[in-house]
Amino acid sequence: MSSNEEMDEAARLWAIRMQDPSFDDWDGFTAWLESHPAHLARYEHVLAADDWAQDLFRTPPSAFEPAPAPHAGGPPRRRWAWPAMGGLLAASLALLATWTMLGHDGGAQEFVTGPGEHRTIALADGSQVVLNGGTRISLDPRAPRAVALAQGEALFTVRHDEARPFVVTANGATLLDAGTMFNVVSQNGAMRVAVAEGAVIYEPGPGQVRLDPGDALSVSARGARPVVSRVNRAAVGSWQQRQLLYDDATLDDVALDLARNIGQPVRVAGDAGRMRFTGALMLGDTPRQTLDRAGPLLGVRFEARGDVWTMTPTHAMSQ
Amino acid sequence: MGLQRIILEQRPRLLRFLAARGAGDEAEDLLQDLWQRMSAATTQPVADPVSYLFRAAENLMRDRRRSMMSRERREHDWHDSSDRGEDHPQGERVLIARERLREAEGVLLGLGPRVDHVFRRCRLEGASQPAIARELGISLSSVEKDLQKAYRALADLKAKFDAE
Repeated sequence: MSSNEEMDEAARLWAIRMQDPSFDDWDGFTAWLESHPAHLARYEHVLAADDWAQDLFRTPPSAFEPAPAPHAGGPPRRRWAWPAMGGLLAASLALLATWTMLGHDGGAQEFVTGPGEHRTIALADGSQVVLNGGTRISLDPRAPRAVALAQGEALFTVRHDEARPFVVTANGATLLDAGTMFNVVSQNGAMRVAVAEGAVIYEPGPGQVRLDPGDALSVSARGARPVVSRVNRAAVGSWQQRQLLYDDATLDDVALDLARNIGQPVRVAGDAGRMRFTGALMLGDTPRQTLDRAGPLLGVRFEARGDVWTMTPTHAMSQ
Repeated sequence: MGLQRIILEQRPRLLRFLAARGAGDEAEDLLQDLWQRMSAATTQPVADPVSYLFRAAENLMRDRRRSMMSRERREHDWHDSSDRGEDHPQGERVLIARERLREAEGVLLGLGPRVDHVFRRCRLEGASQPAIARELGISLSSVEKDLQKAYRALADLKAKFDAE
């Protein structure tokens, strides 16, 4: 056995032991890292291989296949659940979306994801829509370049065609694709679109707004004045990789994102909503795991009452 | 006792850990980051605050590494897709991934039913290692060894794919 292999075996054992929440041999782990200059690299190598395996097991069983013929219910789907393994596997669990299609007989088809589920839909023209949890979209096979986002969040990767524009309607607004990749959230009457690649035209017409990569536009209520801001374009649609990336976001916004991704409401208490966060949150297997990991990073504590979570600043806990 | 106070008490150990864990010169900055996140006076006691802090530090390092890697990957993919354009449909990549997934499942089965079962219970269904040990009536270290076998086989498979 080469020494790399021996080191990898030791590194794997550390990674496995660390999965156990009661693991406490941090000094032993530190000493192991220090005992050989290559140990850290082997440990990172093991973590990278596990990240890879994690992605592999998240491969959607039926993504990119032609949209199945409408019928009641769907085929049984496997659910891959990943346990806690710190940050390594916390990005884990891709609950593969179960889907339902309503409106048979050639009318509009509706795709629905349950809380915490993801679903990839391949459109006939080669475009792709990834649905986040708690999302409902409808499409009409007779108008394959038009998608209505009724509720929730979706990441669109569009095959651009000058002659046949791709149109998304969300919360009464029209978004015209002039490029490739953008994310749309429609929730509680508000709408937000962010562009990763290419461009999107908001409300094509005389007062249209063109959004380029890194631009985001939000509308607080139907028909309200749109507000354009800048976002990190690498963060657009990052939920699809089971992580949420933020650049100076308010915790009000973070709470909305968390709620959508864990599939349970998150209530903001105290002045938590005005706090700000920059960084990455990894989505876990369970709401509790996701929030347990997010809490210390956000500087808040999450408490569950039934299915509702309350987010309170840690500094408010001292009374 | 506030977590920040424990950070002060454990400062040398945490710094040593962060440095060994790859923080290098930034160990002080990262500890500062940890400090800011663990606001003072948490009344809710954490079962083992010291271990909690080390785990938070480990997660900090993993998240840092992962966001660095994914940024690099994104940039790479971006160049890749602009170079190759339509020749490299994303759908093809998913088909390859599904083929590889089938192969990975075959490899796990090849390690024997118990290894396959332990891996699935733990990694895919989220059962804890002690719970799996109890279910199967085996020792915790046997569960660890089974997981190690599965991880090793998957790492070998990744190396094989990388070489293709």
